[in-house]
Amino acid sequence: MADGAYSFSLTTFSPSGKLVQIEYALNAVAAGSTSLGIRAKNGVVIATEKKAPTILIDETSLQKICMLTSSIGAVYSGMGPDFRVLVAKGRKAAQAYFRIYREEIPALQLVRELAAVMQEFTQSGGVRPFGISLLLAGFDHAGPHLYQVDPSGSFVAWKANAIGKNFVNAKSFLEKRLNDEMELEDAIHTALLTLKEGFDGLVDEHNIEIAVVSDDKRFRILSPAEIKDYLAEVD
Amino acid sequence: MSISQYNGSAMIAMTGKGCVGIAADRRLGIRNMTKACDFKKVFQVNDKILVGFSGLATDLQTLEQRLRMRCNMYKLREEREISIEAFGNLVASMQYEKRFGYYFVEPVIAGLKADNSPYLMSSDIIGAQCFKDDFVVAGDTAETLFGMCESVYRPDLGPEELFEVLSQCLLSGVDRDCLAGWGATVYIMTPEGVRETHLKGRMD
Amino acid sequence: MMDLAFLDAPFTPACAGTDEPDGHALDALDAARPAMLGPQRALMPNLSEVQEHLKIVHGTTTLAFKYKSGVVVAVDSRASAGAYIASQNVKKVIEINQFLLGTMAGGAADCQYWQRYLGMRCRLFELNHKERISVAAASKLFQNILCGYRGYGLSIGTMVAGWDHKGPGLYYLDSEGARIEGNLFSVGSGSLFAYGILDSNYKYDMEFADAIELGRRAIYHATHNDAYSGGTVRVYHIDGKGWRRISEDDATVLHYQYNPGKK
Repeated sequence: MADGAYSFSLTTFSPSGKLVQIEYALNAVAAGSTSLGIRAKNGVVIATEKKAPTILIDETSLQKICMLTSSIGAVYSGMGPDFRVLVAKGRKAAQAYFRIYREEIPALQLVRELAAVMQEFTQSGGVRPFGISLLLAGFDHAGPHLYQVDPSGSFVAWKANAIGKNFVNAKSFLEKRLNDEMELEDAIHTALLTLKEGFDGLVDEHNIEIAVVSDDKRFRILSPAEIKDYLAEVD
Repeated sequence: MSISQYNGSAMIAMTGKGCVGIAADRRLGIRNMTKACDFKKVFQVNDKILVGFSGLATDLQTLEQRLRMRCNMYKLREEREISIEAFGNLVASMQYEKRFGYYFVEPVIAGLKADNSPYLMSSDIIGAQCFKDDFVVAGDTAETLFGMCESVYRPDLGPEELFEVLSQCLLSGVDRDCLAGWGATVYIMTPEGVRETHLKGRMD
Repeated sequence: MMDLAFLDAPFTPACAGTDEPDGHALDALDAARPAMLGPQRALMPNLSEVQEHLKIVHGTTTLAFKYKSGVVVAVDSRASAGAYIASQNVKKVIEINQFLLGTMAGGAADCQYWQRYLGMRCRLFELNHKERISVAAASKLFQNILCGYRGYGLSIGTMVAGWDHKGPGLYYLDSEGARIEGNLFSVGSGSLFAYGILDSNYKYDMEFADAIELGRRAIYHATHNDAYSGGTVRVYHIDGKGWRRISEDDATVLHYQYNPGKK
């Protein structure tokens, strides 16, 4: 990265063999608002809390889920500005792939591109690791996918997962609810219930965000009206 | 003389019913001097893709090797075979990458899509794609080959008929071409596999 | 305004009569010959560009050699225009008369026209002198014509072969004005391939059958190796009884005869 006297990597091994910078990054993730995802038989849902620190903020201006390609989207827990950098890089990688093959990038390939970027930021001089974990939802030739990418650059495919604040409770909630026959509609309900479980206050269509990708391979962020309908269904 | 005619070549690709084929001559020359009568110009990428290159032999080999590398990398990375549509686009984008110092090669791609329907593409030397559903030609007397194809080709030919039509078109075509001929090879691809046949031709 | 009146004036060849040292009236014959361009030549768009369009026989292999009992002449039969094969059945041996043959390389029209004209001149010589023209004299006539047209873009590379009072005769001539006597020549784009065979097997004392076979084989090799040569391999033989056509074989048939093992 940057040249000069301080262009050494800030991420260095501790005597016990740990990269504490990465552990701190994970702490930043764990302190971030809860995000979760569920892979159903015919699609994937990702959801997140979007709680504004004060009511003075216009909630409609906040967006935590981003579309990367027409069939892939991502949500994060951790530092918002870091997410925007990765979204920009992810979109560029997806378009570079499309330019060559005139075909949409498969979810796994995009995950690899992003993970490679995140790994590079653990080893390069003059930079710090990303302070976020990603949950990536996609539907491609191989079916529905839910991936998690961490600040270290490691990535895992999940049936369902939660990251951010309260992720331990959310995960055990998901473990109890998950089954392999789950359809997308059920998954959306389960996602809402999981969010509600750990939510500090009352969930409404403005303080959470939900996106789905079904077997039509179109990634879609639900509108507040749609979220309101789903909330009515789970109540 | 154009650099595209330095080594000499003639090539036809055609679609049939559930099959495709490429026929190419076997000459490698240096201008007027015939150097070899067993030069390979058509390559099988996987079970579904055939690609042939007409033009400058050195560029033909380089492009083929680079394409093979890209396809191997694709296979390792994505753990699947590249589709013929993606392959066609890959070839064209690799050509355009060298827009201002291009490969003197006209690729011809024939194969089967995922549903085993035929796919046919040709490209100019800098990657302008041309998709056809009957036949494409390339080489130093493409006009002659075109004429043969226009008069002999019929849609929905079976593999055997397609072989005959391809062979006749190429052999008759190169009989009017100084720089191509000296034998030919015909590849017929069906969902069951690829058959490669060497043809005797005029040796002058 | 430019004076273009010269375009309408009847043209007098700049060197008319120069190839006619004994001053016979050939005006009527000259009328049939292409007018040489005087000042008009400067107005021609681009001589070499025009030449490209005119040239039909671009590549060729022709050969001729003298040996103890005569002259062997062998040629291919391909006519090409660029990479395109215009014909596979060209007669590249021009039968000037019963004892004289010419070969054709370069421009087809140039060779055909001027050798027919040469045939006429040789016949006139016979009528005037009551004896056949020698190969030396015939080729000298031809050289004079070619010298007269030097620089006008004719494209001719030819061998004049025949039999006269001295025995076998063989001359190489071209549109640059050269005239060379020799025992063995090959002309055309495939000539180097033919020379490869000729030089390693030619002996002046060879027998008739070997000489014929050498000519045929040399042309076959040229058709195989040279892109612009091909079609039929024609072999002629000249001796005291005049010329004879010996054989005409398809080059591909010869290829499989000479290479029985090949696929």
